[in-house]
Amino acid sequence: MSRVGVFICHCGENIAGTVDVAAVAKAALDMPGVVHAIEYKYMCSDPGQTMLKDAIRDKRLDGVVVAACSPRMHEPTFRRTAEEGGINPYQCEMANLREHCSWVHEKGEPTTAKAVDLVRIQVEKVKRNHPLKPIRVPITKKALVLGGGIAGIQAALDIANTGSPVLLVEKSPSIGGHMSQLSETFPTLDCSQCILTPRMVEVARHPLITLYTYSELEKLEGFIGNFKATIRKKARKIDEKLCNGCGVCQQKCPVKKIPDQFNEGLSNRAAIYVPFPQAVPNKPVIDLENCTFFKSGKCKACEKLCPTKAIRFDQEDQIEVHDVGAVVLATGYKTMPVSNFSEYGYGKYKDVIDGMKFERLASASGPTGGAIKRPSDGKTPETIVFIACAGSRDRLKGVPYCSKICCMYTAKHAMLYQHKVHGGKATIFYMDIRAAGKNYDEFVRRAVEEDGVKYVRGRVSRVYEDGGQLVVKGVDTLLGAEQVEIRADMVVLATAVQAQDGAEELAQTLHVSYDPYKFFAEAHPKLRPVETNTAGIFLAGACQAPRDIPETVAQASGAAVKVAGLFSQPELTREPIIAVVDRQPPPVFSHCVGCFLCKSACPYQAIEEEPIKNRNGDVLKVVAKVNPGLCQGCGTCVSTCRTKAIDLQGFSNEQVFAELMSI
Amino acid sequence: MADPFEPKMTAFVCNWCTYAGADLTGTSRIKYQSNVRVIRLPCTGRIDFMLVMKAFSRGSDGVIISGCHPNDCHYTSGNYHARRRWMVFRDLMDFMGIDLRRVTFSWVSAAEGAKWAELVNEATNTVRALGPYKEVQQLAVAGID
Amino acid sequence: MEALASKAKELLAAGTVKVVIGYGKGTGESRRPIFVHAAERADDLVVDAGCVQNLATYLTKSEVRALGRMAIVAVPSTLRSILQLAAEKQLREENVLALATIDGSIRELATFDAVEETIATIPDAIGEADQKMIDKLTAMSVSERRAFWAGELGRCVKCYACRASCPMCYCERCTMDCNRPQWIPVASHAIGNLEYHMVRAMHLAGRCVQCGTCGAACPVGIPVHLLTFFAESTVRRQFGQKGGASAKLDYAMSTFKPDDKEEFIR
Repeated sequence: MSRVGVFICHCGENIAGTVDVAAVAKAALDMPGVVHAIEYKYMCSDPGQTMLKDAIRDKRLDGVVVAACSPRMHEPTFRRTAEEGGINPYQCEMANLREHCSWVHEKGEPTTAKAVDLVRIQVEKVKRNHPLKPIRVPITKKALVLGGGIAGIQAALDIANTGSPVLLVEKSPSIGGHMSQLSETFPTLDCSQCILTPRMVEVARHPLITLYTYSELEKLEGFIGNFKATIRKKARKIDEKLCNGCGVCQQKCPVKKIPDQFNEGLSNRAAIYVPFPQAVPNKPVIDLENCTFFKSGKCKACEKLCPTKAIRFDQEDQIEVHDVGAVVLATGYKTMPVSNFSEYGYGKYKDVIDGMKFERLASASGPTGGAIKRPSDGKTPETIVFIACAGSRDRLKGVPYCSKICCMYTAKHAMLYQHKVHGGKATIFYMDIRAAGKNYDEFVRRAVEEDGVKYVRGRVSRVYEDGGQLVVKGVDTLLGAEQVEIRADMVVLATAVQAQDGAEELAQTLHVSYDPYKFFAEAHPKLRPVETNTAGIFLAGACQAPRDIPETVAQASGAAVKVAGLFSQPELTREPIIAVVDRQPPPVFSHCVGCFLCKSACPYQAIEEEPIKNRNGDVLKVVAKVNPGLCQGCGTCVSTCRTKAIDLQGFSNEQVFAELMSI
Repeated sequence: MADPFEPKMTAFVCNWCTYAGADLTGTSRIKYQSNVRVIRLPCTGRIDFMLVMKAFSRGSDGVIISGCHPNDCHYTSGNYHARRRWMVFRDLMDFMGIDLRRVTFSWVSAAEGAKWAELVNEATNTVRALGPYKEVQQLAVAGID
Repeated sequence: MEALASKAKELLAAGTVKVVIGYGKGTGESRRPIFVHAAERADDLVVDAGCVQNLATYLTKSEVRALGRMAIVAVPSTLRSILQLAAEKQLREENVLALATIDGSIRELATFDAVEETIATIPDAIGEADQKMIDKLTAMSVSERRAFWAGELGRCVKCYACRASCPMCYCERCTMDCNRPQWIPVASHAIGNLEYHMVRAMHLAGRCVQCGTCGAACPVGIPVHLLTFFAESTVRRQFGQKGGASAKLDYAMSTFKPDDKEEFIR
């Protein structure tokens, strides 16, 4: 038999001014199961809480209803008090007499009657509450970082520096990402590789970081604290232990005309190559699609000439399976290809390039040694036109969002050009200038005032080739929509930032949500920007949304601290409001019939299959089982289950039914 | 003279959006009619269609069901499942002769305190005009016939 | 008929299946389900226009499954039931062999893929009379419909024949049998009857194969199959998913599209 105590709070005049609290207390005493009902001015105050604890002890209460403000306000407070008073915290419920009653209705009989009903609903619920214990889940204290750009590097370093081992998996042969391709970074004009390579080396040398380059994640199973990651280490065809990075293989490889991806196609590389001189690890990889040996069985020049005999043509991909506790997604971005733009030449014109290609031209370690040269004929351009918002903020033919970094890097490109080509004329066609970061606006002003970059507010309708030059037709909206025509030697498009190729597949492999543009979705846009809705998987960098370097680093550190926080506890404790599939004694074992319609309904993939076996090991039936580590307690499965074999603790069928019946 | 008819309204709401929105209504002191009794659930996905029928057979004259806007569900997709369920259940209820004017579905976010009050008032007024749901309530008290 | 009998004899004699579930002669012109264990009794099997009951409901009964591999004489709706049961993990391919009766011939279908391919060629349509009845009901006003169903369901004695005859009602403990909490009154109670049939139709939405066996089974002649047909056609119309189309689970009520369209949510 239940012994429920009802405690009605006046909340000063907030409740008592509108609701007849004495009448509610009196009515509560008449409710079946209630043995104690009082009213008090401020239940959340110290004396109020003491009163609660004393009553639990003196009246041997096994359930408590505090009729006061909203549970969203004080449920944790009163649950803790109840626990201190000696009962399970989940035996305490709150009736919302303030936000849902006294504050929204006029004083009078109907309002008091409603208050009594609200109390009765909670009394009926609490009578059917079961004591619940927080769920403890073990944690593997090892992190997996996917992506070796600046975001992944920062996250890996931060996590490793807290003492937890990290696996850093990078798809390409070297870490560094897009930041390693940049020439100088805004707003400081720091040399990008100069600030990045020390970090890359730190990652390589860190005792707690294991670097998996030229590797990809194939599968991720499990749940927070207990993931199993299957990593494919693609075969470089090199024995990394023997290779000493001398580079003879690259020099002697007869296949030399492959467009170099690192240099955005501005130069060529061999079939065996190291992506860039500062690559980490500085070991080559054989491009199987272009290598003569793999295409026709001939050549083997590198094998013959390698001084340490490090070439291994028969090396196979290796699969490794690791237990990890958390995953940080830092897979970065790509830029929209120039071929997307019909008005700007579909990518046919060699001298219409995108921002990344310009970075390689401007970079001292690039194919032109930092000299700005036209890709078509190698001449120095006297006039360059930069087009901002190419593809961004374009609902019809591009993406509707702003790519955030282009205003800044376009200003930077124009400035670099002016520094390198003193007589050059740079014109930027823009829509708005978005320079919101620290020192950003001053940087743009510098471009205008000190470096003489011309800003024209308007869009470019067409670019076409004429006599070796590019005719750019735009408009100047600040001069009354005056048509502007410029004969330029080069056009640089600030193309939109997009999610990496393969982002959708990766998100599906990890069961992480993503938006229509394939950027990974954060758990809450304001308050949880580094978490995903999948517990244990965190986000860092441009894979979530277009982002510049300072913000990426900040976010990566944020994700790292979430991981560190997760690893800082011996076990993971979770609220026990979760679903449970019933279990019965044999021969029933469970009312679940194993149709698994609940499995497809669960947003967290928290439902697993559990075979029920007899002593001989024969499977009698396969039923559903809820993983307490993953279930978040939404209850969708409960309403999907036809046979009601699955129930939600804390909001069980019995409780909801009783609440309804009591109205 | 008998008291004028006051409809009994039952509301099934999700904890994270509509319940919070109703709290906001309270904090903003926006007044609405007091006929509604709120049953708190973690998510609209938890709302079984049987609850709606039970509410009616138990004496409610009107039912309100409300949750988070699509894409905002705290549990990612509970409201999407609920939406699908209601799309089918509503058609079935109509086919079997339940008066759909007495059932109100809505999305009320945690910031829409005013919308909650408006919703409750409108629903209550509509049901008051329709009168008590005698047809179902009579069935509930009828014995074996 | 002979083709079926000889096939059944062959299967039973070889031990390929342990039982053949099919139709036999009942009283008068009626047909009823029979279970043939021994090859000698295979001649009791009948195939004709009167054989319409969906026999798939027996595939989920533990007493029948315990016999071993089952062969079942399958009209199109039975084939669909087999696929839906497979999608819900209630049937394993190696435990069932469908003997499809299509256009007078018997086709042995041993895999779910074969069943799927066969079903894809058969148009599914509700019988004319039933469609007329549904159209008539949808044309009525709400209160007319209420009166119609109140009248029909008033005759319901809660015998649960509809539930027993339905292949998709295989739950070991039906929600009706749950008494904590007791969702729906068990007695033949006016509101309980309405709620029971409503719940059943909802539980079948997206799973019903529209065989009509439930309506045929009702001893007091309530057209309960119209309810499940309606629920099924609503799902089909709104989400494009239908019961019994494939052995891979595609259940509209446990999946969703972010842009499902409706107009009634404020």
